[in-house]
Amino acid sequence: MNRPQQPLAQQRYICANCGYIYDPAIGDPMNHVPPGTPFEMLPEGWVCPVCYVGRDQFDPLD
Amino acid sequence: MKPALASLYQAIELRQPIPPLLIGERMNANGSKRFRERLLADDWAGCVEIGVEQEKRGAQVLDVCVAYAGRDEKRDMLELVRRLAGTVKVPLMIDSTTPDVIEAALKIYPGRCIVNSINLEDGGKYLRRICALLKKYGAAAVALTINERGMAMTAADKIATAKNICDIACGEFGLRQQDLLFDALTFTIGAGDETLRDSALQTLEGIRGIKAALPGVGCVLGLSNISFGLASASRKILNSVFLHEAVQAGLDAAIVDAGNILPLATLDTADREICLDLLHDRRREADKKPLTIFIEHFQKKAGEVTTKPTNAEEEKKPAETALTDRIVAGSKEGLEDLLEILRGRMPPVEIINRILIPAMRHVGELFGRGELLLPFVLQSAEAMKRAVSLLEPHMPVAQEGHATKVLLATVQGDVHDIGKNLVDIILTNNGYKVFNLGIKVPAEVIIEKARALKPQIIGLSGLLVKSALVMKESMRQYREAELDAPILLGGAALTRKFVAQDCAPDYDQPVVYCADAFAGLQAVRDFEAGKLHSTTFDETAAAPFKPGLKNVEISRDNPVPQPPFLGLRHIREIPVTEVFPYVNTEALFRGRWGYRRAKLPAEDYAKILAEKVQPLYAKLQQESIAEGLLQPQAAYGWFRCFSRGEELVVRDESREYIFGFPRQAESPHLCIADFFKTEAEGGDIAGFFVVTIGAKLGERSQALFASDQYHDYLMLHGFGVEVTDALAEYWHAVMRRELGIGKSDPATKAGFVTQDYQGSRYGFGYPACPDMGAHIPVFALLQPDALGITLTENMQMVPEFTTSAIVAHHPQAKYFAV
Repeated sequence: MNRPQQPLAQQRYICANCGYIYDPAIGDPMNHVPPGTPFEMLPEGWVCPVCYVGRDQFDPLD
Repeated sequence: MKPALASLYQAIELRQPIPPLLIGERMNANGSKRFRERLLADDWAGCVEIGVEQEKRGAQVLDVCVAYAGRDEKRDMLELVRRLAGTVKVPLMIDSTTPDVIEAALKIYPGRCIVNSINLEDGGKYLRRICALLKKYGAAAVALTINERGMAMTAADKIATAKNICDIACGEFGLRQQDLLFDALTFTIGAGDETLRDSALQTLEGIRGIKAALPGVGCVLGLSNISFGLASASRKILNSVFLHEAVQAGLDAAIVDAGNILPLATLDTADREICLDLLHDRRREADKKPLTIFIEHFQKKAGEVTTKPTNAEEEKKPAETALTDRIVAGSKEGLEDLLEILRGRMPPVEIINRILIPAMRHVGELFGRGELLLPFVLQSAEAMKRAVSLLEPHMPVAQEGHATKVLLATVQGDVHDIGKNLVDIILTNNGYKVFNLGIKVPAEVIIEKARALKPQIIGLSGLLVKSALVMKESMRQYREAELDAPILLGGAALTRKFVAQDCAPDYDQPVVYCADAFAGLQAVRDFEAGKLHSTTFDETAAAPFKPGLKNVEISRDNPVPQPPFLGLRHIREIPVTEVFPYVNTEALFRGRWGYRRAKLPAEDYAKILAEKVQPLYAKLQQESIAEGLLQPQAAYGWFRCFSRGEELVVRDESREYIFGFPRQAESPHLCIADFFKTEAEGGDIAGFFVVTIGAKLGERSQALFASDQYHDYLMLHGFGVEVTDALAEYWHAVMRRELGIGKSDPATKAGFVTQDYQGSRYGFGYPACPDMGAHIPVFALLQPDALGITLTENMQMVPEFTTSAIVAHHPQAKYFAV
């Protein structure tokens, strides 16, 4: 308890369809998304780089 | 949409069929000594216990107020909200005057709560600040009729203040009127203050006036204030009478000590009259104030307790709301008794239309807002189904009903029906008549059935790319057959754009893309409302990303490993325990099963996983072993091959099989054939496999669906899908080891997802090679027929839980989409 909540910008998200993890610290190099990009700031039209489902299929990881 | 609150476990409508909604007031650091002592001692379990007690006594919402001098309100609020969210079943009311505290609580609360409170005390600054939060977090609110002059005392002032608040909250911030509960303020009439003598009347008038002036809004009162200063036995009675009067005036909710409210019918008539005199400031003796008479009367009776056992009047409320609660909570407990009681009051059709269907509608809304997880929706549907089947014997047989009729089918050649069956479950249990034609249904049969059954809507589904093409091609057939029902399309390979551009133009009725079962439900409702239209696609919208490598040069000098053998092998017994470690549990829990974290705090999600999801997974593993539901088998082989443009020529002894693979239209223009050497480069080695978990699990899951065990059906089906995928992952690892390129597996599950190993595998029917026709040469090479695996006319494999792939060893081979 009282564990600080994950700061929004560092929140990792996981694809509920395939398990790919978007980590803002890494970004998505394959799609030219630089490290430090929060999930909320991903470009429009961005999809899971592994299974291509839309962003609405992502779930906060931890 | 009916305004409602929701916790993790259930939803509660702000407007109860029989008001008022009872809001428990005992978790208040200022109002409850017991609570305060526990709070000051950091006795969190003790604080939560007070919430649980109130819930047991009938509170439908719990007010939480922890502001106390010298304490860190925010810390206390978060601590308590977190603990309560996972413990009590009812939603919370966040009671604070500090915006930071309110926001922090809204942020972590996994549901829809109500904020207590907003007002106009500072002219609107505070109000606007909180309204922005309400809008952002979708919360409801209690609005106190307090303005810059202070608490509104007269009915006229209360009404005017409410209007002003409403103008700002709804006009400026777009909040819904029905999400506001106005508190016309209660002042004590028990202390003998002359200026407050008619305050109960002003409050009751205020409620009437607010409801008349602002249609849709609700009213709430902090009830017990009315009797402040009086003896506790008489307070209970005065509070109860006042509550009754307020409800008559239009009150929707009351902040009360839920256990202390007495049903009116149990009260002594004389007591009641005396209370009414006091409330309405009526004098029965010219020289004696109603308050004096009140005090004398109850002093005389002191010690006498006036509670009678509950009677029918009181039971009326529990039966209706209890049934709603059962459906929303997905509980079948005591349904028989509840329905028995209700059948004494209304015909079965009324029970369905007035209680059950609204309850399911509400469940759908909660799901839509991400406040209810799919497994719980299915439990609600099960409870609904059970309730309806209990009512059916009491309904006239020939009642055709006016329910909209929907025909559902999985299209020709496609065996995947989980999506279609979810639509069936959701529609059926929202009161629609569904004809489910099953799987692999040719267009001709759909036309024939549509003519015979005359559905108002047709819903078609299919998982694979091929099924999307089947849907597109059949549109003209449906037009030629002059079908007149709108067609809803759903399935993994469909997109809004495809439906809008490739399907809708070839049919004369609306053709509508449905992303999930609830979109299907919405479409049916739109149809009933006369506003169902074909899906459209805006070309100017951003084009979706096409992930995958960009600007790559496929190296040609990679070594070709030696396979241990050439030709095919059949492995008839693969130990299940070898496969389980490869299960992608994240995809199973969050994807297949729908246990998303979404808005939950991390600890709460961890708790659900530990207490509910992991045990279920363990149980399914054990059961599937004990009952032989999983029979993993593989047909696989290694073959010499070479690439020739976009083709791969595969040799098996003297025969040649040609696999044609599509090439990406945009950079880097990849094609699976690129990862294999040409004849001139000396040729290459390709692996193929077909793996299956057998037919038993599929049969079991179908039986669960057929017997309306929706929750277990989805769980077992999802388990089967992911174990099949795990089997493919496992077998791919075995094949890498055989080639000597896979000495160790990736260290983490995520490593498998991102293919942190040499090479790749491409499933037939999936994005890199959507053509299922390749199954013909695959079956010729591997002869999986010997393991009981067959192909449908559309090249899909049966049993359903079977998958196939081509295995490439090239280090640059990774997933991509054409």
